[in-house]
Parts: sequence; structure tokens; C-alpha cells
Amino acid sequence: MTNQQSFLKTILDESSKHSIAKLFIHKGTCGDATDIVSVCEKQGIIELAMSLNAEIIETSCDGRCWAAPSVTAQKIDVGGVSYSRRFDRIDLGVKLKELGEVLDLSTVHNVFDDGATGLTSRFGQLDGTLLAAVERGAYGVAEKVFRQDQKSILSKIEESKLSGRGGAHFPTGLKWRLAAQNEGPRYLVVNAEEGEPGVFKDRHLLEADPHRLIEGILICCYAVGVEKTFVYINGQAHKGIESFMTALEQAQNSGITGPKFLPEKMAVDIEVRAGAGGYVCGEESVILNSIEGERPVPRFKPPFATDEGLWGMPTVINNVETLAAVTTLWQDFPPPTKLISLSGNIARPGVYEIPTDGTLSWNGFLLSVGAELETVPAILLGGPSGTFVHREKFDEQIEMKNIGAGGIFVLSPNSSIKEITNSLAGYNERESCGECTPCREGTIRLTQLLQQETVNLKKVGELIEVMEEASLCMLGGMAGRPVKSAIENFPATWISAEQ
Amino acid sequence: MIPFDVTADDAGDRLANLEKQLLTLPSRKSYLLPAFHMAQEYLDWLPRESILVIASHLRIPLSEVYATATAYSELRLEKPEYGAWYVCTGVACEAAGAQRIIDAIEILPEKFGRTDCQFLCSLAPICTDHRGKILGRLTENRVRALFLEDSGDQ
Repeated sequence: MTNQQSFLKTILDESSKHSIAKLFIHKGTCGDATDIVSVCEKQGIIELAMSLNAEIIETSCDGRCWAAPSVTAQKIDVGGVSYSRRFDRIDLGVKLKELGEVLDLSTVHNVFDDGATGLTSRFGQLDGTLLAAVERGAYGVAEKVFRQDQKSILSKIEESKLSGRGGAHFPTGLKWRLAAQNEGPRYLVVNAEEGEPGVFKDRHLLEADPHRLIEGILICCYAVGVEKTFVYINGQAHKGIESFMTALEQAQNSGITGPKFLPEKMAVDIEVRAGAGGYVCGEESVILNSIEGERPVPRFKPPFATDEGLWGMPTVINNVETLAAVTTLWQDFPPPTKLISLSGNIARPGVYEIPTDGTLSWNGFLLSVGAELETVPAILLGGPSGTFVHREKFDEQIEMKNIGAGGIFVLSPNSSIKEITNSLAGYNERESCGECTPCREGTIRLTQLLQQETVNLKKVGELIEVMEEASLCMLGGMAGRPVKSAIENFPATWISAEQ
Repeated sequence: MIPFDVTADDAGDRLANLEKQLLTLPSRKSYLLPAFHMAQEYLDWLPRESILVIASHLRIPLSEVYATATAYSELRLEKPEYGAWYVCTGVACEAAGAQRIIDAIEILPEKFGRTDCQFLCSLAPICTDHRGKILGRLTENRVRALFLEDSGDQ
């Protein structure tokens, strides 16, 4: 093993010179959907940046989707301290004078970047090169933990109480330990399918900071002793696939995934697989079948993947965000955070990072993102497997175990609970893979029952119970959850139907 | 891309090219989905001829190849028709006025359809236009303007 300290430094040293003024154009899926490039040209932003000799950099959405189309102007002084300012919704107008002042080297500023850490800290700040990521700390944690033994890494992850960010919140440390205990070869499967309507945080992570995911993969491979990794990405997330593949190539070409950087005897083999649709393809055992070339249907559990996963061998299946979060555990601050995908009746929809220690209430969160609380009757947590939170419960703390994958849809005064519930039930019916009867037939019966003028709540309850108990996977098991939650939270909606 | 047409002159060439491309994939069952993607990327859909080529390269029974192909919603087993707008009718887009967008497109001479969530809820309501471009934070006026722009182009 060569001196690791110097390895990341060699990457940094290779960087020639830095431009001092930069204009970041937040492209990505969000920027493209709001025509950012033509807006920038129309508003004269490109012309201005070029006249000031600023480097123009195309980067990702920074998680503040509500602000798209947007740009960030940044200037770095001799000491490396940077000043930056964002210009939001530039389609509605932009103050070119202020933008010019940031890029103009002769003006002095007193406000500086906050040096943020955490999952979203590099969102919208990278130019798609490895260098930019390493400069902002990528692979620094891996370098550090590669000097520790596997046992202490596993303990650290267990102590951190990090849990599965795909929504099931299974303890990550325990999952890794269970797989590590079994005889190899061991596999790692990264679940980047993200097929739950209303959730878009993994796509943002893949587009905005793919090196963080690779770093998380390297740490897992080392701690668990993984031989081969499959990254299973949603086939429709074209930008996410492209961005991850580019990052992976950069990591491979620079030696990050080779012996110069990795601990002795460790080899990493990462393969990307694209999915091809279907909500059920986000279910972990379906992904295993899909990678093996079988029909994409769920498997019986047990055996669990950590015992018998891919080709019957021990397999760790982690969500994109879980692995990305691993890289934040060795920072002093913040503690593990959770990404939220926010949409609906809200001023600032986008991707947010919230604390997981139960210190934040629904009220607090919603106010911080610009909600007018009096106009919010409830929120929907997660999509077709989600639950409603009634406004009466907004003063309760946000608990990880209740928020699933972190999709939050904010309802408006004219939202119809019944329509939303029916729409979710219809989605589950369409997406049922048909492998097991309780889900295949149950989802059809459920939508039929709900569409009747007088809904027989007793039958609905019984049906949901059977689906919960007997379905092969959680898609069927949780298909009745939004219905149950709607009935519990909004009994008045259903009163006419009670028998 | 021009969708594969078995009656076209280049049909034989395209299938031969696909066979060549498939050789870059190991002849193992695990590469079934990557093979589907490869064929669909090249031919734009999965005609029966391509399924036969895949089955023989990976040495999987035709019945199993079809069983798997039909289980993925994004694999196209029929020749696709283009030119339609697709309005997302997921919960967030519905709440943000997807119906108004549908109404606005409906009176235009455009083909359109509905899709489930497209995972851009933060920019709802959204739609993909006839070229496959995603349009975010859509309004009726923008739909009309885009259409006018488009007819001006032609």
C-alpha cells in the first residue's frame, strides 16, 4: 500500500490553475425542464460572464428545485476563501448589476460560504470533474477509514444508528455485519431504482454528487468484504445514469478504485445496470432477480439477502442515500441526516436535508420551507405506500421510522382526500406485478370498493389486513396503507359510507 | 432514431449489427436485461427478430426471454408511435393542475396521452413533448406558446 495521504493530494496537485470567478449554471433535469440555457442567453447572463472572464460551468440542480432556472455566481480570493450568491428564477428577471458585482474581481465582499457539510453540501457546486469533488472533500472519509480495521468501521456504523434510507429503515450497521459474518463471495447491490412517485432525492444525489455514492460503496466493500457491486439505476433516470457512469470512469482512471488508493488486497468491481420500469423493481428481491436475468418478481423471505442474495450468496442491498450517508458519519457535524423530496402546496419544493434526531417538528419543517400552515389540511408521506399526517399532528416531532423514503406531498385546501386515495390505490393496481394473489387480486378489489358511492369500510379493512399479512412483498403489504390512513385521519370524508 | 421495420431494406443489416453488438456481452443469463436495453437502444423497440437473436446469444429458451421482456413496462414489444405529448398525472401534478394542461393540449391538433409520476414533482405540473423533452412548471399559456413556436418552425 502506498502512502494514502499523498494519493488524494496527487489528484489535487495535478490541477493546473483555477479560475477565480465562476458562473455555475444549474442544469440537471430541473434546469433542462425549465429551459435554463436559453433563459441565460436571453437574460444576457452568458454575455456578462464572458465579458468579465468568468468560467462558465454547467452543474446540477442544487436541491432547490423551486428556484429553477437558477445560476450561482462565485468568486475565490487569493486565500482560497470564496464568496457566492445564487440568482433564483432567472426566467422572471435577473439583477445583472448584482451578478456582475459578484463576478467582478475588483469588488470586495464580506460574506463567505458557510463551509457546509452533510449530504447535500456539494449539490450544485461541482463541474462534473473528479478534481472539483476531491477539492470539496470527496474520498477524504474513505481515506481515513481505510486505516481502520473492518470491525471498528462496523461498530461505528452501528453506533451512528444509520438506517435504510429507501424507506424500510433497517439498521445499516446490522445489515453489514450479518453479511460480513457469512462465507463469501459477497455482493453489494445499490438500489437506485427510486420508483416511488413523489420521491426524487436519489436522482438528485446521482446527478449532483455521484462521487459521494462511490465513496460510500468503497467503504461498504472494505467493511463487509464485498467482491462485486451492482448499481441498479432506474432506466428513466437518464441524467443520473450518465452522471454516475462518468464519475465511475473518473474514479477508475485516476486510480481511486485501484491499489494506489485502496487498502492492501482489496479490489473493487462496480457494474451499472439500468432498470426497465415498474414500481415493483424497487423491491430488493426483485432487483436480485432482475440482475440474475430472471423475471422481475419478488422472492420469498426468508432467506434474507444477507444470507442468500445474488446467486445464493450473502448480499448487502443498500439505497443510494444510505451509502451516501455513510460518508457523513465520520464528520463531527451534522449527525446522520435524511433527504426529503418536497412537492405540492408549498412555496419552495425541492430536496431538503433534515436532522434525524427527532428535534424537528412538522410545523418547524413546513414553516422553514415556506408553507402557509393555515392552508395545509394535511401532508402525504411517501406515495402509494404512504400515510397522511393530519394538521392536528403537525406539532409532533418528525420521526425517521414514520417518513419512509422521505417523500412529502403537501395538500392544499381544495385537495380531495378521496380522490388522492383513489388515485394511489389505482396506481398500486396498475403496478402490481401479479406474482401473488393477495396483491394481484386485492389491489383490484380495493379500487373497486373505494369507487363505490357508499364504501363498505368493514370490507375495506378486512381486505387490507389480508393483503398486509399474505402478500409476497411489501408492495402488496403496504398497498392498503394510504387507504387505512385516510380513513383514520379523515373519518368525515367517509362518514356517508359507514354502515 | 428510426424504429426497426422488418420490411425495410436495412432490416437484415440492422439485425446483423445487433448480433455483433451482443457479442460484447458475456453469454450468461445475468445479461438478459442489458441485452434488452442494447437491442431497444439500437432498434428503438424489441421486434420478435431481436428477441430470437438475444435468446440464441444468451442461450435462454424463447419462452423465458418473452416472459421476462413482457414483465418490464419500459420494454417496447410493439413498434412505437411518436409525436404525442404525455402529461404526468401523478398526485403532485394532478394537484398542480395537470387537468388544465390536458384541456389546453386537447384543443390543439396534438396527440397526447397521460403518464404516471415522472419524478419531477418539485416542478409540477410537467409533461414530455412530442420530442421527448421534459417541460416543467407548465402553464396553459406556455403550452399554447410552445405549440405556436413549433408550427412556426415548420
